[in-house]
Amino acid sequence: MKTEATAMAPAAGGTPVTGRVVLGACCTIHEAQQLRAQLLAQAELPGPYEIDGSAVQQIDTAGVQLVVAFALDCLERNISYAWKGRSPALDDAIRVLGVGALLESPG
Amino acid sequence: MTLDLAQFHDTFFAESFEALDSMENALLKLSAGDADLELINTIFRVAHSIKGGAATFGFTDVAAFTHTLETLLDQLRAGKRRVDAKLVDTLLRSCDLMREMLGATQHKQPMDKARVSALHAEIELIMAMPGDSPAIAVPAPPAAAAVAPAAAPAQLPPGETRSGWRIHFVPGPKLLRHGNDPLRLLRELATLAPCEVRVDAKWIPPLTELDPEECRLSWHIEVNGPVRESAIKAVFDWVEGECDLKLEAFGAAPDATVMVPAQSMPEAQELAVTPRVVEEPPTLAPVAPTIDESLAPRNNAASTQAAAAAASATSLPSAAAGDGGSIRVSIEKIDELLNSVGELVITQSVLSQLAATLEGHDAEELRNALGQLERHMRNLQESVMRVRMLPISFVFNRFPRLVRDLGQRLGKKIELRLSGDTTELDKTVLEKIGDPLVHLVRNAIDHGIETPEVRLAAGKPAHGVIELSAYHKGGNVIVEVRDDGGGLKRDRILAKARERGLAGADEELSEDRVFNLIFAPGFSTADVVSDVSGRGVGMDVVKRNINELGGHVQIHSTTGKGSMVRIRLPLTLAILDGQLARVGSEVYVVPIVSIVETIQVRAEQVSSVASRAQVFRLRDDYLPIVRLYDLFGIEPQHTDLLDGLLMIVEADGKRVGLFVDELMSQQQVVIKSLETNFRPVVGLAGATMLGDGRVALILDVPGVISRFQSQETRRASAQEAA
Repeated sequence: MKTEATAMAPAAGGTPVTGRVVLGACCTIHEAQQLRAQLLAQAELPGPYEIDGSAVQQIDTAGVQLVVAFALDCLERNISYAWKGRSPALDDAIRVLGVGALLESPG
Repeated sequence: MTLDLAQFHDTFFAESFEALDSMENALLKLSAGDADLELINTIFRVAHSIKGGAATFGFTDVAAFTHTLETLLDQLRAGKRRVDAKLVDTLLRSCDLMREMLGATQHKQPMDKARVSALHAEIELIMAMPGDSPAIAVPAPPAAAAVAPAAAPAQLPPGETRSGWRIHFVPGPKLLRHGNDPLRLLRELATLAPCEVRVDAKWIPPLTELDPEECRLSWHIEVNGPVRESAIKAVFDWVEGECDLKLEAFGAAPDATVMVPAQSMPEAQELAVTPRVVEEPPTLAPVAPTIDESLAPRNNAASTQAAAAAASATSLPSAAAGDGGSIRVSIEKIDELLNSVGELVITQSVLSQLAATLEGHDAEELRNALGQLERHMRNLQESVMRVRMLPISFVFNRFPRLVRDLGQRLGKKIELRLSGDTTELDKTVLEKIGDPLVHLVRNAIDHGIETPEVRLAAGKPAHGVIELSAYHKGGNVIVEVRDDGGGLKRDRILAKARERGLAGADEELSEDRVFNLIFAPGFSTADVVSDVSGRGVGMDVVKRNINELGGHVQIHSTTGKGSMVRIRLPLTLAILDGQLARVGSEVYVVPIVSIVETIQVRAEQVSSVASRAQVFRLRDDYLPIVRLYDLFGIEPQHTDLLDGLLMIVEADGKRVGLFVDELMSQQQVVIKSLETNFRPVVGLAGATMLGDGRVALILDVPGVISRFQSQETRRASAQEAA
């Protein structure tokens, strides 16, 4: 996974994004510590954020839980985020784990 | 930092091997054309779980093979393929191969890839062929299902009123670290029936505080369909003890509502963190129906905590009241515990002896208190001993496969009956009894049970029966191997024994003694030596192994009707029933199982052989006299046989008289290994500490006899040389 700080693209609602989270091909418990560190680095930016999950090929509960925690942090801080894309693997994990509503873009 | 999954490999392997045993048992119950969906589901779940675990741990070969196997099993599950003998055979061989692959992976050894590829190809070939008809048996009627849910299919019959299950699944924080993934469990659950999943995210802390390897999500799931409780529980089999699980049937009559005890989850309390409060932004409102429940508690921390506490308070006791789950503990830890308890028993015994010498009111109270302590110690010791006990089914479970394979190979029809498989034995005894039992069962199949033609000609049913049973009797465990075959041929055994000089030409032997000859080294009456049996190697090893365990073996047989081998085993090897005997200032413990009788010697019963060695006449037998003081080089109180006692002991069919000064009490002693604490000594099985603080040596009777014989041989050589 990589994260980028930009000020180019607008988030949903027209606000320009300041950060972009790009989820890598593997987001499992093996990469969980690294993924958390990168999400934390991103969270230091003021937002809003863009999350790109289009490259995800393998994800497990640990990976989904981190994304959910990031989304809930955004809610708490009243910062919006938008999904740029979600791969079929990511969509399937979100559906099976029932976390779709928690990951709806709020802003 | 990445998670080191290697720490969970041992657990994965142990659970996989156990699961493969279940798979094999289920396969052996599958009969051609009449497959039970519950059995197929069991087999499928094993393959599925091993595949998932292997993939998680990066064991790609195992994952790839089980994936193909799982696909074939899925065809069976879906009723697209019929179960036949050849398919069962392939599945059993797959089970064997998975065991080998896991073993090789566990021990980091290479696997024969050609064999894996060959079986892989065979499975793919089967899958490529059209399945001719449904594999699934007609579901049992509701009444039968109610009394035997385990044997019933996963789908309930159409008339059943239950329409689904509500599941509350709270993973323990360590569940992810142990290689389990709720995503996989929920996917598997969805294969049973359509599921409605609501996540509860209120326990997720802020990202800054979240340990990403701990699961903080939980789920409320509605399984919408008439699914059996056992099928749902089986999905969560592999996370037993690592989650809190509640099941509740819905859409049914009140008596059909079942609360399944939550699994024991010791880590549950660790989840007791304050759920964070989120100001729900107004923009979330339209997302409402499904998100409401998961976010609402985050707005009301107090009520959430109270609800969680209430849930925890109701679920944890119910776990204790239910089957409770289990934990894996290494045998070394249990042995350490047992050792400490043994030390405590000795200390308590020393205290009791000291207190016995005191006088006065306080001394009386002290003795009462020590009496109580002794009772508690005995309970504690028995509890720890019970921890080491395992059901004999761990050994019995290997026999259905063995009987099936060997029976097929030898063209014999054999029914195996098992009874008493819940009888418990010490783990060490259990481990050592496996091989002797395999030998006895193989012998029963090869030499005992006749071919169907011979049986029919003798007026017997074509199917032979082998019965394995276990039960407790008088502080021992009895294991019996019984067959209804041709029985032992007394005349043939006797002729062979005479030929080999094991019996005199005119010597008349009782039936028991004749049958016992088959335990002599190298004894065989088989006409044909096969790779199954007949080389005469084995029955002597069987007897020796059982004797080494402190057990005893007997054989009974009736020509034409069958044979029965009865094995008597001690419950444990850690504690011994012993007779204390004094020689000079030393105390020896003689295992009671080895003692035949104890006799006061009369002069006319003793005679000398070759002007030196003395023998004792016991009825019609002459027994060598072993003077323990002479054997171990200690100062005796008596050297004259008439002043002491002779303990007649027996081992490996040999009897000797042990000369001791006096007999003391009989007691259970905790065995301390000499090998571990000192060094092995021929003739001594270990040591123990007595109540007065003295160390007593425990005799190893076969070793004593062997030491005595060596000593006599050396003396005879020395005499000749002189």
